[in-house]
Amino acid sequence: MAESTQDKIVSYLYKKVPSAKNLSLSQFVQTAVGWSHEIYVFDAQWKENGQEKTQGFCLRKDPGSGLLRTLSDLKEQYRVLQALEPTPAPTPKVYWFEEDPSLLGGPFFIMEKVPGEATNPWSKVGKQYYAEAAKRGKLPRSFIEALASLHNLDWRAAGLDFIGVPGPGNDFALREVAKWESLIQRSLRKPEPVLTEVLMWLKANAPKTQRLAFVHGAYRTGNLMIKDDLISAIIDWELQVIGDPMYDVAYVLSDLNREGSPLLSCVVERDFFIDTYQQLTELTIDFDACRYYEILYMMRSTAFWLSASGLFAEGKSKDLRLARTTYSVPVVLNMAAKALGF
Amino acid sequence: MLTAHHLFKEVIASLRNVVAPAIADPYPKSQAYMAAVILEFVSRQVEERRDIDQEKQQTLNRLFHDLSAFLADKTPSSASETDYEARLCRLIEWLYNEKERLGPEAFATANQKVRAALRQLLDQELKIAGTTE
Repeated sequence: MAESTQDKIVSYLYKKVPSAKNLSLSQFVQTAVGWSHEIYVFDAQWKENGQEKTQGFCLRKDPGSGLLRTLSDLKEQYRVLQALEPTPAPTPKVYWFEEDPSLLGGPFFIMEKVPGEATNPWSKVGKQYYAEAAKRGKLPRSFIEALASLHNLDWRAAGLDFIGVPGPGNDFALREVAKWESLIQRSLRKPEPVLTEVLMWLKANAPKTQRLAFVHGAYRTGNLMIKDDLISAIIDWELQVIGDPMYDVAYVLSDLNREGSPLLSCVVERDFFIDTYQQLTELTIDFDACRYYEILYMMRSTAFWLSASGLFAEGKSKDLRLARTTYSVPVVLNMAAKALGF
Repeated sequence: MLTAHHLFKEVIASLRNVVAPAIADPYPKSQAYMAAVILEFVSRQVEERRDIDQEKQQTLNRLFHDLSAFLADKTPSSASETDYEARLCRLIEWLYNEKERLGPEAFATANQKVRAALRQLLDQELKIAGTTE
């Protein structure tokens, strides 16, 4: 009989903890949230030097044909989390990175199972959860503090410059446009004139960066673990860059991430966010730059949907969630067109 | 956008091979299989919409005609290109790249005409994506 994923993980853990005896897994769950990675969460129990041990783990695996494969590198994610461990940024502790695809069918790394939940803000229950947490008041501040902890980080001292450092001026914005344009070029199956107009506008209007910071790239509820109304960990490390902190701020300010909620990212009041963020980072929010980055996010979403529907069209995935995104392309391009005034 | 027939084929396959086998309860299981059977019939009844492509073609024809009159001999020589949407992509790139040479007013006018056409193209696509306002 073929060895199950759980059995394979147990074998792997024995190699990593050679003194372990009677190792077993419980509470084993494959979460269904990720489109780009496979994620398994579980508890491991074993005996070591006569003592019973229990620890929660989270395994993140590269499925090979998921989204953003060309833009996201699992080893980089592991190294970023390693670099962030001694910093004030709340992140999961990482234990092992495994490059050998023969073990689980793709490279993977194992990190700690962080207490709390990353409630999906798009569901009715999720919206209600965040609205109630917002009223209690602790979570909105924690949301801003965690973001500020990234933007205030001395990323050179933390050794994060290995992910690439943009040049001065508008180099960051242009690099980001080029990165997503490369995904579009790989995914595009027919010409998209609206997208061409958006791309050309973005290239012609790239803003200068006021200061380089460590940027998450997708900072929103749903990508944050929450325990007792506090951010216990920032997760989903796929799109991090050294760049303009306004890139993250724009994502928070964007309507894209609140679907009808009056609260930014469904959890924080706009004025409170602006005041507290500026106070904690000593940065002045550049609203023109944020408007620019919001349009860049729309282009990025388009690239994402084109890539998703492209994977489906080419038969590399049979996941109907990816097929559905073919209808998202004109919708998000419509948002970009409206933002540009047409 | 993926074609309707491609999507029918994949949704039917998913219902047959993924959804239905995973359902233990006999009634919803039979419904999933029957949905696949019915969709197979429906897919034979459905034709891809041609009106959208025709509308888009007319919009592009009007734009190219209008712009060649406005920009006279300054436009790129891509009139022979048969894929009109690809031709428009190249025209947009050309306009931005030649912005200085054209001057701000001519660029703004040409860009406005392009954007008006892009709006019409988008509106056609949104007839399917379903969020036309």
